[in-house]
Amino acid sequence: MMADVAQSILTVEDDDGIRASLRMALEDEGYAVEEAESAEIALGMLADHATDLILVDLTLPGMSGFDLVRAVRQTSDVPIVIVTARSDSHDVVAGLEAGADDYVRKPFVVKELAARMRALLRRVREPAADPGGPEVRVLRFGTLVIRPEAGTVHRNDRAVALTRTEFQLLCELIDNAGIVLSREQLLERVWGYDYFGDGRLVDAHVRRLRTKVELDPSDPALIVTVRGLGYKFDA
Amino acid sequence: MRDARGAPRSPLKWRSRSLRWRVTAAFALGSLAIVGLLGVTTYLIAEHYLVRQREESLTRQAFVDARVLRDEIQRRKGVTDALGALDLGARSNVVLSIDGEWYGTSVSSGQSSVPLNVRRAVAAGRAVRQRTEVDGRPAFVVALPLPAIDTQYYETFALIELDRTLGILRSALAASGLLAIVVGGVLGWWMGRRVLRPVGDAALAAERVASGDLDTRMITGQDPDLDSLATSFNHMVDAVERRIERESRFVADVSHELRTPLTTLTTTTEIMRARRAEMSPKAARAFDLLETEVLRLHQLVEDLLELGRADAGVADVQLELVDVAVFVALTMPSCGGATATFEAPEHPTYAHVDKRRLGRVLANLVANAETHGGGLRRVVVSSGTDNSRVMISVEDSGCGIDPSEREAVFERFFRGAGGRRTSTGAGLGLSLVAEHVQLHGGRVWVEGTEGSGARFVVELPGTPQ
Repeated sequence: MMADVAQSILTVEDDDGIRASLRMALEDEGYAVEEAESAEIALGMLADHATDLILVDLTLPGMSGFDLVRAVRQTSDVPIVIVTARSDSHDVVAGLEAGADDYVRKPFVVKELAARMRALLRRVREPAADPGGPEVRVLRFGTLVIRPEAGTVHRNDRAVALTRTEFQLLCELIDNAGIVLSREQLLERVWGYDYFGDGRLVDAHVRRLRTKVELDPSDPALIVTVRGLGYKFDA
Repeated sequence: MRDARGAPRSPLKWRSRSLRWRVTAAFALGSLAIVGLLGVTTYLIAEHYLVRQREESLTRQAFVDARVLRDEIQRRKGVTDALGALDLGARSNVVLSIDGEWYGTSVSSGQSSVPLNVRRAVAAGRAVRQRTEVDGRPAFVVALPLPAIDTQYYETFALIELDRTLGILRSALAASGLLAIVVGGVLGWWMGRRVLRPVGDAALAAERVASGDLDTRMITGQDPDLDSLATSFNHMVDAVERRIERESRFVADVSHELRTPLTTLTTTTEIMRARRAEMSPKAARAFDLLETEVLRLHQLVEDLLELGRADAGVADVQLELVDVAVFVALTMPSCGGATATFEAPEHPTYAHVDKRRLGRVLANLVANAETHGGGLRRVVVSSGTDNSRVMISVEDSGCGIDPSEREAVFERFFRGAGGRRTSTGAGLGLSLVAEHVQLHGGRVWVEGTEGSGARFVVELPGTPQ
């Protein structure tokens, strides 16, 4: 992808006012914006052409935002930010469990939303920055093989599909193997949040990561919870 | 019904005892009453029967003795010989009065052994029998005139054995009364426990419901008498659950409906802010007004939704273990408290807090100090040596808060004497502080400082080291 081509954002939002204002605001931030007013339309557009990031409102008529996130995650690791107008945390946690990378609450400040999106988009581009460089590590943990520079994970020679966020979280834990990382540290290093980020982002991603890399996700052997402190990679 | 010192008044003492204690006492007293009544009745009947029988037999014996004596005396024997001829038991004595002369079968017996009224009755020619006392001991006297030999005959019988029998009976009955108290008490205690077990179950269930476990129900169909309690309890929990569900859905719907247009408002405001330079001076001024009010509306909606969630009981609290001093130090700059003095202890001040809520608490207290307290002066985090409580005090340099208003400032939409507004413009800031702190299981209050300002103190349950 060339630098002068604007990155494309797909906003899935049923409210006309928000959709229109979001388009203007994100265009001000330098993105190319596509719009879908329902999950069904969004899926059709995604089948037609790829996008760099999806912004999904959770309360959509018809197919819900959760289902859209799950459907997208079947085939793609494109960054997804969910948007919720509800106060309770069930929505957020459920959206993250479905596979979203981050969330914002309505009413959001566009500057903050743009900062979140930039962090995700930067992450997407990192592995491609130095393809086939001289230093390609191969890390083995039992039947699990990780190539941090190539961005691939294999279990028993079968590729494991991780989103970019999950992959970076895994790399961060592996780079500090044996050291306990607090939620705050992980939020800062993986999501670019300051001290006040939401620890549930980390928890939800660790849960999802475990289902993909652990032999027994209910009794994790690699990514261990250290109660009250954070997480640790046990090599 | 409490007196000034808060102690229950004395008429309530009995009622203030536990139900189980009362059941036990009632059973003990009840069984004592029954056994006591039976005992007294038994005693009275037995005494009456025993005494009457003894008196009859003693009377018969006295008449036999009197006849023997009369016959002996008529055979011209001396009075002393005649008395000696009587076959008296060890417990009876005979006293005779012949022509004013007194004779007795023992040294101690004489005229004085016979009560005066008995002597008079016999002197008047009547036979008498009555209970009396000889030497302080119970006795029975049978007296009869013997006109044939011109003699007054008195025979006294000691009643020690009868008395002893009745004494044993009394002791046995008293002992059974005591036993009745004990047995009744034990039975009452046991019954109380059995009867109160469903009440205990109900209390336990209610406690679980109160702590948020709305799936708790009492088991029905075990006992028809208790089913009404269980059924009513379950109906109540159903109603509470429906109500909470309805309120929580309402709050969720309201927050969705309010936040959707607010999102468009804040987003378009940002877009316009970026183009403010292109506006005419008048349009720019109008935009500034618009932006201020949009932000205020935003804050007001968030505050009201926060209170709505707290009232509906659906506030979700995300507790994390946090060093409060570090948290406060990191938060102060972002909420406008960068210039104030900050003090914290050397040791860590760990507590389980919801970071978002504690952040709002600090922001609102700082905003309050800046708006109404003449500016923030000092923020102090402290904790006891065992860290069981962590305190955050926020001091301002204003003119303090009148003691009469120190509780009212935490009420919603409170406005001080000057009709002043708080930071949100609606008087919700400090009431939200109180809500947030309460959700942490802590408390907040305001006091005067050594200077003239106000000190708001937030006390959170800490994590003892």
